[in-house]
Amino acid sequence: MTTSADSTRVAKRPGVPLIDGIEKVTGKARYTADLDHGDALVGRIYRSPYSHAEIVHLDVSGARALDGVVAVVTGDDCPHTYGVLPIAMNEYPLARGRVRYRGEPVAAVAAIDAETAERALALIKFEVKELPAYYTSEAARAPDAVLLHDNKLGNIERDVHHEFGDVGQGFADADLVREERFNCAEINHAQIEPHASLAEYDPATGRLTVQTVSQVGYYLHLMIAECLEMDTSRIRVIKPFIGGGFGARVEALNFEIITALLARASTGKVMMQLTREETFITHRARPQTDIRLKLGMRKDGRMTACECEVTQRGGAYAGYGIITILYAGALLQGIYDIPAVKYDGYRVYANLPPCGAMRGHGSVDTRHAFECLVDRMARELGLDPFAVRRANLLHAPMRTLNDLTVNSYGLNECLDIVERASGWRDRVGRMPAGKGLGMACSHYVSGAAKPIHRTGEPHAVVNLKLDFDGSVTALTGAADIGQGSSTMVAIAVAETLDISLDRVRVVAADTAVTPKDNGAYSSRITFMVGNAAIDAAKKLKAVLVAAAARKLEARPEDIECAGETFRVGSGGQSALPFADVVAAALVDEGAITVKGTFTTPVEAQGGKHRGGAVGSTMGFSYAAQVVEVSVDDATGTVSVDKVWTALDCGHAINPLAVEGQIQGSVWMGMGQAMCEETRYLDGLPAHASLLEYRMPTIAESPPIETYIVESNDPYGPFGAKEASEGALAGFPPALVNAIANAIKIDLNELPVTPDRVMETLVQRRRQTRLAKTVKAAQ
Amino acid sequence: MTLADFRLAQPLTVEDAVAACCQNPGSRYVAGGTDLLVNMRRGIAGPRVLVDLSGIDELTAISSDASGRTIGAGVTLAALARNTEVAGRYRALAQAAAAIAGPGHRAMATVGGNLCLDTRCIYYNQSEWWRSANAYCLKNRGDTCHVAPQGQRCHAAFSGDLAPALLVYGAEITVAGAQGQRRIPLSELYVEDGKAHLTLAAGELLVAAHLPPAPPSAAYEKVRQRGAIDFPLAGVAVALAATGATLGSLRIALTGTNSWPFLLAGTDAFVGRTVDDKLLQEIDRLVQKQVQPMRTTLVSANYRRLAAAALARRLTARLFAEPALSLAPTPG
Repeated sequence: MTTSADSTRVAKRPGVPLIDGIEKVTGKARYTADLDHGDALVGRIYRSPYSHAEIVHLDVSGARALDGVVAVVTGDDCPHTYGVLPIAMNEYPLARGRVRYRGEPVAAVAAIDAETAERALALIKFEVKELPAYYTSEAARAPDAVLLHDNKLGNIERDVHHEFGDVGQGFADADLVREERFNCAEINHAQIEPHASLAEYDPATGRLTVQTVSQVGYYLHLMIAECLEMDTSRIRVIKPFIGGGFGARVEALNFEIITALLARASTGKVMMQLTREETFITHRARPQTDIRLKLGMRKDGRMTACECEVTQRGGAYAGYGIITILYAGALLQGIYDIPAVKYDGYRVYANLPPCGAMRGHGSVDTRHAFECLVDRMARELGLDPFAVRRANLLHAPMRTLNDLTVNSYGLNECLDIVERASGWRDRVGRMPAGKGLGMACSHYVSGAAKPIHRTGEPHAVVNLKLDFDGSVTALTGAADIGQGSSTMVAIAVAETLDISLDRVRVVAADTAVTPKDNGAYSSRITFMVGNAAIDAAKKLKAVLVAAAARKLEARPEDIECAGETFRVGSGGQSALPFADVVAAALVDEGAITVKGTFTTPVEAQGGKHRGGAVGSTMGFSYAAQVVEVSVDDATGTVSVDKVWTALDCGHAINPLAVEGQIQGSVWMGMGQAMCEETRYLDGLPAHASLLEYRMPTIAESPPIETYIVESNDPYGPFGAKEASEGALAGFPPALVNAIANAIKIDLNELPVTPDRVMETLVQRRRQTRLAKTVKAAQ
Repeated sequence: MTLADFRLAQPLTVEDAVAACCQNPGSRYVAGGTDLLVNMRRGIAGPRVLVDLSGIDELTAISSDASGRTIGAGVTLAALARNTEVAGRYRALAQAAAAIAGPGHRAMATVGGNLCLDTRCIYYNQSEWWRSANAYCLKNRGDTCHVAPQGQRCHAAFSGDLAPALLVYGAEITVAGAQGQRRIPLSELYVEDGKAHLTLAAGELLVAAHLPPAPPSAAYEKVRQRGAIDFPLAGVAVALAATGATLGSLRIALTGTNSWPFLLAGTDAFVGRTVDDKLLQEIDRLVQKQVQPMRTTLVSANYRRLAAAALARRLTARLFAEPALSLAPTPG
């Protein structure tokens, strides 16, 4: 493997506020819905009221004839499927032939105002022949079930069967073997900004400009070109400010293509703003997951084997499904040393909105099961939860059984920190009634090593422009969706050039201006775009050093630059300010443009086995956390009193942003653990509002103590790895383990709502009574 | 969904408000709007005229005299929660007010609005598209209650928090109508029917709630999934007076479990007994017998039943163990 970035070290900084933070908190930032759309038509979507049906007749003539309606589009207007994976594009932007979930787009209108558009929808006549609908994996997999997609037998989109090492031997070597089943509810990203898209078609030039909430402007650009049969050169996709993504927008979404179709059909500008309900229906989030997990362990806590079966209810279309079911198995590894791992995964179609990627993609539910079961087995063996994890640590650099590369590993340090900070040793087992402590570990990839589209191009490209004004403009396709990626690019450039941060301006995510970027997914930006930014900055530095050398009549290798000053040698008397060096550099060539790239070496792109690319990455982040809870066993309500989290992100390029990301991950994990779940009533989303979809409020948000561990990844930018997802998956198991510690019940379902806790308590009381009765009878 | 057009009337007196409402069939009173406007946006309420109560000063007063305390229907929940006299003497009411929804809602929402809150159901509080795809429901445009398809009535649940607190204090309300004003026990405002749970006649307006001057010690608690925003899955108010080591009086009222808030029947039988495990078990059983939670929420009905009973037990035990409050009637 080649070293992509040298071991450049940056000075320890307290961190800087996000460069676009002030605009956001002052309300100056303009999100898609804030863009000027006074002259735009209003787009609205007619959605299927049926879960599963053959389309017999769709009559939009009434809508088309209504005064004020400018365009109506249906499945007839787009015969192309779209999707994120070239091998699994089975979805039309507007249904053709069949509808497969309630809420699936069927037709769309563009009208002069919202009222007219809504009246037009009411005039659409939709005649169907209903088919049996399936809302659980079990029902969809029944032998006599109607197939949602004809080529997918058993309604299974993808089954995965991987075995590494000798699992049979592993279980034979174990002193304790346990198997349990877990059920994790489907959840949604519930990003605060509802979906919106503004598309403008210019009939004179034949060009289409789309401003939208996408995390993956480049993929959307390609999909729009395919669906609208347009040349890619006629399309421009721009990302305005985005109010959260979390994976909700990491694939081209139906409403984005529909808005583009409407803009072209009306030869004008169309604004599409989805309601909160429609935003929930668009979904693409974490699927409901059944897990059967079997682990073998020796008396000393060493794991001997792992066997895991995962069934994900993926919804009606493919989306990222194949990736999700592969991640769920691949990421059983890469955190602990397990001699044998067997994985069977099933991604199942059902008549519900399609699932997709969500923060911690694929890893969270299996990690939950794993960390819960490890804790229970430790208890049975009389071992401390920390000791069990420590007995199974990895030693970097290494390759896992499934060929994932681990180049840096700070989990041991994370464990030490949260154990100490939480006072674990003095407190666990000595808490007052109803209170408990639990812990768990987690990890996540720093960017998928293999890009979705295998073009052979670099994984990331950053351009830097330096001109007469002395400002450095970084052009990157990377989508800042609130995670702070533009700030990261600015810091990477400023640090490498040793110039003031405010000299750097970042222009991001505009396909007409910025170099292509695969997008904000799999926590790839810091690692890949960060390295590309450093590469570009080094090239720019070389140009400046050469100019300074000419001016100072010295050799370039003797030039030192620091704090925007160039001099010969560190103690050199003649010094040149930045502006003079820039002026000198421009003399030869005029405005300077340099380009930096990053490419993941092929050795890091995963094993040769089918699906082996998924889970492969240049570096894993690692996290350990302790959760302290109070449980009210009369009402089943659980409150989180405090959380201690340590994250190994390699190196914190911006510690302030890392802290925010750790807190956000923990908080999102808390939502999934405690209260968030989607609920469908015969396929209708009953949860599709911020009242019924219960994200935690500030009232139940605990203090979160965050700790940053810096393991200095040899390949990361300044040693950095990802920081936005790794700390999420540890929360749910740490919570469930804490509840077990507090009131001695083991919960196997997420979220841990009061009714689920109560049901388990009632069951236990019944069993206790039964045991007493049996004893008395003996 | 786009808000349908409506006309706004802005009367300055109760009489004008009642007249405006009576003259416009299909009109509705609006105060904070935290319940009604959401329902209008969803298309489950569609008044052509809204009679805005915010300009009527007499609705926003909290006053007291020898006969007790009067709280105007237009008093906001935030104002009620921070009123120190209410908090000191009518603790259950202040607790209930402070725990409703979130701070933003409480700044707008009013006492009258919370007492007249529409009943709620997971099949009802949904968008027009949703309800239409589900053939509507008994409470709105349809003929089947999806919660109890065999039943004859709507089972939507009442989930106002103030009502149980006021019920255990034995509160009365003043209602203004075309024929003038009438004063009735609060319990007579409600009937157990999710589609028509209020006994108000067309155009009648709830003007004020009246509390007795020397209330027993009381407390309110509710269960919900989150510590804010959520409506109660079950809410319980308990008021009791202890006579030495025994109960002098006991009232328990519930919300969130039925289509109306109601006083638990049969608590008088506990008077004269001490509060021990046996009595708490009996209260538990009594609550479980009388509450009738249905599948109107995403949380199971059985949980709401168990939680209501657990809260009643806990509050009774806690209040009985508490040193008695000695409150003299306040001068007017």
